[in-house]
Formats: sequence, structure tokens, C-alpha cells
Amino acid sequence: MLPPGQPPDRNPGTLPTRERAVAAYRWMLLARILDDKFASLYRGGKIHGGVFLGRGQEALSVAVGLALKKGDVFAPLIRDAAGRLAFGETVLDAVRTYLGSPLGPMRARDGNVHRGRPREGYLPMISHLGAMISVVNGTLLARRFKGISGTVGAACLGEGGTSTGAFHEALNQAAVEKLPLVLVVANNHYAYSTHESRQFACRSLVDKAIGYGVTGHTVEGTDLAACLEVLDEAVNCARSGGGPQLVVAQLLRLCGHGEHDDAHYIDAKLRASRDGRDCLQVAAEWLRKCGWADTATLAQWHDEAVEKVETTVAQVQREPGPDPFAENWRALATKHLHGAYASA
Amino acid sequence: MSITYLEAIREAQARALADDPRVFIYGQDVGAFGGAFKATKNLAVEFPGRVLDAPISEDAMVGAAIGAAIEGMRPIIEMQFADFSTAGFNQIVNHAAAFYWRTDVPCPITVRLPCGGTSGSGPFHSQSMETIYAHYPGLVVMTPATVEDAYSMLLEAVAIDDPVIFCEHKYLYYHLKAEALPKEALPVGKARIARAGRDLTLIAYSAMVHEALAVAEELATEGTEIEVVDLRTVKPLDTDTVMASVARTGRVLCVGEAWPWGGVTAEVIARIASEGFDLLDAPPQRLNAKDTPVPYHPNLWMVHRPTSQSIAAAVRQLLRR
Amino acid sequence: MPEIPIIMPQLGESIAEATIISFLVQAGDSVRADQDVIEVETNKATMNVTAPCPGKVREFRAKLNESYPVGAVLGLLEVSEVDAARLGLETSPPLAKSAVRDASASNENQPAASQTNQSVKPTVRGLPVPANAAGATYMSPRMKARMNELGLHAADLAGVAGSGAAGRVTINDFEKFLANLEQHKLSGASSMRVAVADAMRRSWTRPLATVALPVRIDALLAHRESCLPKPGPALYALRALALALAENSAPAGRLVGNKIVHPDSIDIGFAVEAEDGVLVPVLRKVDQRPLRELVERYNELVKLTRQRRLPADATGGGIATVTNFGTFGLTWATPIPLPEQTLVLGMGAGRKVPSWDEARQQFVPVVEANLTLSFDHRVLDGGAAGRLLARIAKLLAEPSDL
Repeated sequence: MLPPGQPPDRNPGTLPTRERAVAAYRWMLLARILDDKFASLYRGGKIHGGVFLGRGQEALSVAVGLALKKGDVFAPLIRDAAGRLAFGETVLDAVRTYLGSPLGPMRARDGNVHRGRPREGYLPMISHLGAMISVVNGTLLARRFKGISGTVGAACLGEGGTSTGAFHEALNQAAVEKLPLVLVVANNHYAYSTHESRQFACRSLVDKAIGYGVTGHTVEGTDLAACLEVLDEAVNCARSGGGPQLVVAQLLRLCGHGEHDDAHYIDAKLRASRDGRDCLQVAAEWLRKCGWADTATLAQWHDEAVEKVETTVAQVQREPGPDPFAENWRALATKHLHGAYASA
Repeated sequence: MSITYLEAIREAQARALADDPRVFIYGQDVGAFGGAFKATKNLAVEFPGRVLDAPISEDAMVGAAIGAAIEGMRPIIEMQFADFSTAGFNQIVNHAAAFYWRTDVPCPITVRLPCGGTSGSGPFHSQSMETIYAHYPGLVVMTPATVEDAYSMLLEAVAIDDPVIFCEHKYLYYHLKAEALPKEALPVGKARIARAGRDLTLIAYSAMVHEALAVAEELATEGTEIEVVDLRTVKPLDTDTVMASVARTGRVLCVGEAWPWGGVTAEVIARIASEGFDLLDAPPQRLNAKDTPVPYHPNLWMVHRPTSQSIAAAVRQLLRR
Repeated sequence: MPEIPIIMPQLGESIAEATIISFLVQAGDSVRADQDVIEVETNKATMNVTAPCPGKVREFRAKLNESYPVGAVLGLLEVSEVDAARLGLETSPPLAKSAVRDASASNENQPAASQTNQSVKPTVRGLPVPANAAGATYMSPRMKARMNELGLHAADLAGVAGSGAAGRVTINDFEKFLANLEQHKLSGASSMRVAVADAMRRSWTRPLATVALPVRIDALLAHRESCLPKPGPALYALRALALALAENSAPAGRLVGNKIVHPDSIDIGFAVEAEDGVLVPVLRKVDQRPLRELVERYNELVKLTRQRRLPADATGGGIATVTNFGTFGLTWATPIPLPEQTLVLGMGAGRKVPSWDEARQQFVPVVEANLTLSFDHRVLDGGAAGRLLARIAKLLAEPSDL
């Protein structure tokens, strides 16, 4: 057991296996292709509302999703398409939610990145940054009450979200309750257009771990191998009773805040830095270097992913949209209260 | 034996904890200390590990309750004062209230709000918050006025599948006593005719029901029969009982301790005006606290909120119209 | 020496009462300001009650292990005049009064709650009942709904003295009135009666006035005798009215909002009594046809009207009406114009009266009848009405020109 606030020493011996690396890469690839398709559907006028992509953040995201097991809790944020797929979300659920299908998990009542299956530990985010963390805490608290041990909850956030009271309150709560929470902060240097210098004044966000009395980790978010290693470590540490873990990753989003945003404000020097690398290319290079995939294999995976996304989009586009007259317009689960509730 | 409103709340929680292993209580000072008002007195001892002191974060308290509810638990959150619930407002109205609608998964949390004014409490320990929560779809807002309702409605709040804002009036905590805990209860969502009458309907909820009853008592000596309707839950609103009473009397005054703007009384009056206009013999009226923060000094406080005197004056004025 | 009460303080949010645990000083002891004097226990905590200023404990009224409500007098402190005046301690602070019955059994120890705010003005507002509310001119929504349900009108309640604000008829007054009706013999009014009632009620919503002028009708009667068939006296009046309005139709205009609606054809009606009511057939373009050409149509319409077979082309559209109440032997009346008309010209019964003949310097017998003109005072005034009536009288004086 590590003392709180002290990052563990990295064990260079625990490199990911080929199987794990390939799985991670293929989820990243699928997420990238899915995201690109959403952007295209948005530009084609097929998606109502915003489209928020995870381009450039797939390596970190997939590492979170893969580190979690069935039975764990996952509260992703807007740039976690890869992590969502790795955690078990289907492409069909994602497409149905973006296209507002009543057959999707949110039944057209909520859309785009606000999707999940809470009964399966996959929490649908609300827009208020930091709000998901205490909810993950609650699920973990519930498991403690029920005598369930060995499960972990992960919540994702950007560096901008660390400015909120909710971040502070929930991380402090997790620390007080010694919950198996893994809080993953993707520092992509910009919260929408605002540079990190306007969000925090500490040397590194991981320094906050000491203040809360939790274990801190840092990772290079563009390096899949490092992400898999660090996230596995953090999740395992939480799972084995090490208390909350704060993981801070450095990376850059290679797109706008949403598809409506051209990200012109991002510093060109940053784009050219290591943080500005495309994690998907870095991962492909890594697989090739390890001899786990050749160019032909990579191309084949790409084509399979495209096929999967295209088939699913085609299917969902043929599905009927929601019918406002068939909608029950009921906000209460308690049916007998609805009559008195709804009038006017 | 007799039991206070506060003890009824404690007993309801004890019973909920005893009957349902999914129930736990989370709030500031609710553990060994037994709560700022002693609403959880001894519960931490009787139910070890299920009555937890929370760090001072209303946001994280409610957030955690939502997470636990998703996992099938039935958390009860105690806000130390209703006023402080604004610090957890986001989780209540954006997360808990919308959760079932968005996901088809119920979010059965109970948030207890010690609300309403007591003399000397000032702007931040006196508020009535039912209005602001009633505005949000997906929440049930209960405002029990009696010891019996405090007990039975709290049990029902824990039992139903929706997030419940349970507004318990601080003034009633020690001032209101009953002989015993109730054996049966009106279901949630039904208003109660607290006193029958034929000349005017006084609609109230929470502590104002008692002010209204006092007015009815006083006017009965003058030959005026006031009907008092206790809303019990302000959301859902039992419009049927309200409208039936107005049909009997033709005159209505709705009294609320909260502020007037867009409040529960405004909603009640709007519904009467739109659905029951032809039942009216005089303009439907309402009486609320003054539209200022709640004042500190008793001399100001007692005039800020409706009292039996100001209600009686309003009733007399309305009877003349 | 002034005495001030030691009272049970409000020891916490919502606390109603506290129990005396111990007395920290004895009766007769001198105490400092802020010195703890009594130890009490609430549901929440144990705390001390302090002396508000220096003084001597005169007595404790509270008993050990008993509970007392907030504000109860626990004891008395003798203090100096100076301290009492300086600290304003003569009166105990007013306590908020609530309707909730106090849980405590020891009410006798409770100081009288301040009554200074007895006449708290409630913040309910709204317009008062209109000043002209007396009777059924102002009706609440419930009254209106009930009246509609029963097909009644405000005029039906004219006999009901309202007991409500400003004398308005309340629902209780109304229900009593209805119950009282049941005591009487009731029969259905004819549809003619109901129609006339409706027309009169609508007409009566306007300010109506009447002017009158006695006119000699000897010439008219003589002319009438010379004609075959004989025109009715009302027809002379009708033709005279038509000619006068042809010269100036403004008095027959109708006021709608801020506009005058002018007549576009001199069509004049005349009142004919039918069973249980009055009907008004209309002669068209009366200004363009001499009297003798009107007689046949006039007589035909009278006959048809009495048979209730009024033809469509003689129904409605009139701009004024003539009524000969003289046929009932009446000499004077104030008829009501039709709701869609501004004028009604009335003619009374002719009477032989003495008239001073200036030339002959003696009274001579003449036949005289009253002409009345009732009008919507919004459209014309007494002067215009008088001038119109005088013009009609002048035309009637030369019946052969009609």
C-alpha cells in the first residue's frame, strides 16, 4: 500500500501484452472512425445539436475503459468515445443516441455524449463539470453498504473541470470515505478556448493529490503504452484498497471543443510538441515496432471498423424517429402520482 | 405517551432503516451527534454503519445519494437547513430530477429539508424551498403539516421510486405533538380537508395549516365557516380536492410561508383561475411572506411571514368582496 | 427598585422549551452582568441562562427538573434604576406569536405575547368591487355561470337587494331568490314576450331621453276625412318624420364606438300591437312616396302583422319608428326606441281643448295631440331632438303637402 499523495514507482516490467495492445488500438481506431462519421453526419445536417469528439485523446480514454472490468462503474466525459467502447458500449447505442433514435438507451430524450446504461455501471454524464464524480462515489458507497468489494469507479474530467467546486467536493469526499475512485484528468491545455493558465496556478494538477490525501499519477496521454500501464496501475491500486487515485494526463485535443469550433486558438507550438502528436499514429507505430501488426493488418482493421460504423449508421438512419404523440411525457417513475402531476 | 413532529421524523427514519436494508442516512452531523435538530438521535447506534456524517458538501452528498440510488439503495440526505440545499442544487435539479426521464432508471433519493422560519433565524436559516424544487419536473415535493403526516409521508418518500424533497418545518419540530404515531395515512398526492366549512376556502401547507386553522377557529365564533385545505404535497398538486372545496365556498385564499413570486400559491391560484373561474364569487387571493429576505429580529420576522392575524385580516377582506 | 424577569432564552433553532437542571445562584444573591444563573437542558444541549445586567436575584419561579417554554419567566432580578434605564430592560422583548398551540404544560409562566401587530395589513391586493355594483350590475364569475346556466339576465334580479360588498347580489342572495320563486305560481312566458323583453333590455343599455310637443291636428283630421281610404293618424306622423329625416338624417344616425353610422335609406317602422307583444313592420323609402300612395301598403301591413304574417321585405332595417299610443287613449308616454335605432316618434290621443284665438280675442275649440320623441342621448341632445320634433309638427300642420 502506498502512502497517499505519493505516486508509485513505475515497474518497467509490466508492459502490456500483444492482445491488450491490439484490443486497445482497435477500440481507438473504431472510436476515431465513429467520431469522424459523427462529424460528417453533423456537417450533413443529420445530427441535431452538438457533436463532441475525442480526437487525440483516444489513448488515455481507451486505457481507462480497458482497465475497468465488468461490474465496475464508469462516468466518461465528452471525449471518451474510445473508453466507452472499451468499457462495453456498442456502436449501435452511440449512433442511436447521436441520431436521436427512440430505440437507443436515452430514447431521444437525451443525446450525443449524454448517454449511458446506469444499470450496467455506465453513467450518462450531465453537462455540469465535476458533477459525475460524487455520483460515482455514491455507487461505490452503495457497493460498500451491500458488501461488494473489488469494484472500482472511474470518472473522467478535463483540466477545466478541476476548477469547479464539484471536483473539489467529490474528490475530498472520496478521500474521506476512502473509496476506490479513479479520477482521470485529461489536461488538453484548453477548456473550450481558455488556456490552462486561466484554470489553475499549481505546477501540475497532480500536486492536488497531496492536498486531498489521494494517490497521484501522471502519464503522457499520447502514448498508448504508457496510458495502459498507468491506468492499470491506478485502477489496480484502487481495487486493492489503495483509496482514490488521481491520474493526470498531458495531451492535446486535435479538434475543436465541438464540431462547431475550429480550434484556431490552440497555440501552433503546442500542436508541434509531443502533446500534439496523434496518439492513434503513435499507437500504430508502437504495434508495428513490437511486431504485433503490419501495415496490411492495420489496413484490414481500419476497413473492418469503417464497415462496422457504416453498417450501423445505415441501420439507424432507417429507424423511425421519436413520435411526440407516442411519448408518455412522464417525468416521474411513480406512475400513480403522474395524473395529478402532469396537468397544465 | 405523546410524540413530537421531530420525533415522528426520527421514528420514520428508524422504521425505514429497520424495514429496508437499502436505506441509509447521509448528512452533516447526523451520526453520533444525532443531527443538528436531533432528527437522527441514536440512529447511528441503533443502525451501525448506516448513518454517516458527510463532509460539508451538499453537492457531494446529493451526488453520492444519486449514485447509491442508481445502485439500488434508498438514501436519505439530511440538509442541515433547507437554505443550504442551494449548495447541492445542481445535483438535485439537474441530476436527480432528470435521471428517470433520461435513463428510465429510477433515482429514489429522499432529501430532508428543515425549512421555514423560526424567530431569530435570519435570512439563511429560515427559507422555505418548496417552490424552487416544485418548479423542476421529476421531483416530488412534500410539505407535511402534522405529526402523523411527518411520519407517514417520510416513509412514503423513502418508498417511492422518485427523488423526494421532504420539507419539514422547523417550527413544528418541538411545537407540534400528537398522541401516537399513525396507523394509517392518506396517500401522497392527496390533499386533506383539515376543517370543513362553507364560506371560504383557506389553502395552506406545512406550518401555515396551523395558522389557517387558528383563523378558522376565530372566525367560527363570528358565524363564518372556513374550510381549510392542507395540500400535504405541493407537487404533485391535488387540484381535484382544491377545486371541489372552491366549488363549495366560491372564495379562496391560498397561504404560503414562501415568497410570492412564481410560488406554490401562485400555481394554486393560477389553476383555480384557469380551471375553476366559474366557481368563484370573488377574486382568488394569496398571502405570502413579504418579497424580501427573511429578517432576523422577531418584530420584523413576525410581520414578514403570514400569521393568523394577517390571514384573518385577509379573510375578512375577501369575505367582503 | 425595578424588577426585570429572567426569561427562558431561545437556545437554538426551533427549540420550544428547556428543562431546569440546576440553579447556579440562590435567591438573594447578587449577580454580575452576564453571570450564569440557571443551567438548562434542551433536546440538543446543556446551556446556561445568564443575568442580563448586575442585580440581586429576588426569586426563582422555575422549579428544578421542570420544563419551561421559550420566553417563560424563570425568576426575577432586582436591578438599579440606572441599569434598567441604560439597558432598556423594563419591558421583556416581544415574542413572535404563532397559532401552533404550545407544547408546554406550563403556560401560566409564559409572558403575554406582544399584541402590537394585531392589525397587520395583509398584502393581498386587487381592485375593489366596482362602485356601481349595487344589485346585479356586478356579478362574480360564479354568479355569471349560474345565471347563464339558468338563462337569466341581470334585469331578472332587479328585485333582489344584494347583501354583498357595495350591495351586490351574492350567490347566496341569488339562491334564496330562486328558492323564493318556487313559492309562487310560475308560468312560461310566450316567445313573443321573451323576444320583446330581450329587445327592450338591449335598448335600455343606452341613455334614453324623451322630448314632447303638443300639436294641433284639426287640419290632419280634416284631411283624413277627405281621403279614401283614410290614412291612419300614425301614417301622417310617419310621413312627416320621413320628410324631416330626408332633409337631415343625422338624428337617425347610430353611434358605434367613435363612429356615427348614417342611414342610407329613409325606411320607417311603425308599432303594431300583436298578441302578447309588439311588432314593427317597415315601410321603405317613405321620403320618396306621397302619403296617398302609402295608405294601401300601410293598411295591408297592419292586417298581416296582426295575423303574425309579417312579410320579409317589411321586416327590419328601419332607421326610426312611429308608435301611436293614442290608440290606447293615452295622451303621453315615453316609448323606448328599438335597440338598433336611435329614434322613436310617439303620438298621443287627440283631445278637444280650448285655444286662445288672438285674432278673435276668444278661446276656440281645437284638437290637440302630444308628439313625443324618444332618443339615444349619446347621438343627439335635447336641442336637436326638439328641432326635429318642431319640424315634424310643422309638416303635420300642412297635411295636404304630405
